[in-house]
Amino acid sequence: MIDFEDVYLSYNGKVLFNDLSFKVGKGEKVILAGRSGIGKSTLFSLILGFVTPERGMVFFDGEPVDEKNVWQIRRRVAFIDQDVSIGRGRVNEWFDFVLSLKANSSLRRDERGLRESFEYFELEGDILEKDINELSGGERQRIAVVTSIILGRKVFLLDEVTASLDGHMKEKLAWFFCSRSDWTVVVISHDSVWLENPNVKVFDLEGKRWKQ
Amino acid sequence: METIDIKVLPLLFSFLLLTVPIYLSHVFKIGFIRSLLYSVVRMAVQLFLIGIFLKYLFRLNNPYANIAWLVVMILVAVFSAIRNSSLKAGKVLVPAFVSFTIVTLAIVLYLNGVIIRMKNIFDARYLIVLGGMLLGSSLRGNIIGISSFYKNIRKDSKRFLYILSLGATRHEAVLPFLRESVQLAVRPTLASMATMGIVALPGMMTGVIMGGASPEVAIKYQIMIMLAIVTSTISSIVLTILMTTHICFSGYGTLKADIFRK
Repeated sequence: MIDFEDVYLSYNGKVLFNDLSFKVGKGEKVILAGRSGIGKSTLFSLILGFVTPERGMVFFDGEPVDEKNVWQIRRRVAFIDQDVSIGRGRVNEWFDFVLSLKANSSLRRDERGLRESFEYFELEGDILEKDINELSGGERQRIAVVTSIILGRKVFLLDEVTASLDGHMKEKLAWFFCSRSDWTVVVISHDSVWLENPNVKVFDLEGKRWKQ
Repeated sequence: METIDIKVLPLLFSFLLLTVPIYLSHVFKIGFIRSLLYSVVRMAVQLFLIGIFLKYLFRLNNPYANIAWLVVMILVAVFSAIRNSSLKAGKVLVPAFVSFTIVTLAIVLYLNGVIIRMKNIFDARYLIVLGGMLLGSSLRGNIIGISSFYKNIRKDSKRFLYILSLGATRHEAVLPFLRESVQLAVRPTLASMATMGIVALPGMMTGVIMGGASPEVAIKYQIMIMLAIVTSTISSIVLTILMTTHICFSGYGTLKADIFRK
C-alpha cells in the first residue's frame, strides 16, 4: 500500500533518511519507532506530498507520489498530525467544513454515525457547540479521530493520537484502529498500548528494520 | 466661493509650527528631530513637484495622459504594498499590479460615469484625484490583507497542510486564510466608517467644502468615496490573493519557500 524506495532526504544539512526502503502492506498495522527528531513525522509528510525526497521514490498503492497523483492520494488517506491542527470556530462548523470539501462531496452528514462515534470515544454531544479553542488536548485529539473516521477512508496515518488521552481511552482507541482488517494503519506513538495488539508490526527507523 | 489661496510667505510661516515639536523633542530628548526634518523635506519637495506636474496635466487634460498617470500611481502603490509585506517583489509584482489596476480603474470609471455622470469620464480633475484617494485609502488594508494571508499560511502551516490532507484543493485550502485576512484588513475601514462625521471630518469632505461646495454636496461625495474605498480594498485583496496563489504555491499545493524575503 505504501512503499518507500531508497529515499534520501536531508534537512538543514543533516541527513534524515539515507536510502530508506520499507513497505506497508494493505491491511497492515504498523508502528513507527525511534527517538524524537529522527524524522517519523516526515515520513507522513512524504506520503502526503508535503515534502519531496531528494532521491528515491515514495509509492502509494503502486502510484508514485508526485504533483499529479498526490491530490488523489490525499483523498484516500486520513491523517492526524501531532498538533491536531483542526481549524477555528465551533466544532460543528469544523465538521461542516470538512464535509463541504469537494473531495468529500459523496459523504452526507450522518448525525447517527456521528453520535455513535462520540459515544464510543466518550465525547459529550454538546461538544458540537463548543469553540475548538476551548477544548482540552484530549478532546481535540478525539475530535480529530472522529473526523478521520467519518471520512470513510481506509488508510490512516496517525501521529501521536493517543498522547493526551487517559490509559483507558488509549486502549480503546488503539483497539478500534487495529480491529478493522481492511484498514491500513500507520502509527507514530510512544504509547505501549499499540504493542498489545497481536497483529501490530513495529518498524524501527533507527535500525531501519522490523522489530516485531 | 473659491478656496482662498495661501501666499508663499505665509506658507513659510506654517513651517514655524515645527518649532514646537522640535523644542519638545529637544527638552524631552525624544530624538526624532532628524527623522522629522527628513520627512518634512521629502513631503514638501514631493508635493511641490506634484503640484507643478498636476497643473500641466490638468491643463493638458488628455485622456491617455490621465490614464497613464493613474497607472503610475497604481504601480507606486503596488510597490509600496509589496515592500511592506514579507514577499519578494519579483514574484508577486505582476499579479498584484494587474489586480490593483483592474479594481482601481473599474471603480473610478464607475464613479465618474454612473454616479457623478460626467461627460468626460477621463477628466483629470476627477480621474486622478479620485483614483489617488482610492489607492491611498485602501493601501493600508491591502498591505495588511495580502501580507497576513501569506504570513499566516506560513506560521500556521500545520493547519494548512492538515486541510490539504483532508483532500482539499489548493483553492479550498486557502479559503479559510483568505477569509481571515480580509476580515483583518477591513476592520479599520469599517470602524472609521461607523464613526464618520462624529469623530472627525473626513478628508474628502473637508476638501470639497473648502473648494466652495455646500456641506450637502460634500457628504454626497464622502458617502460615495467611502463605499468605493471599502469595495476597492476588499476586491483588490481578494483578487491579488487569488492571482498570486498560482505563483506562490507548488504543484503539491504547498507554499513555496522562495516567495519570502530573507
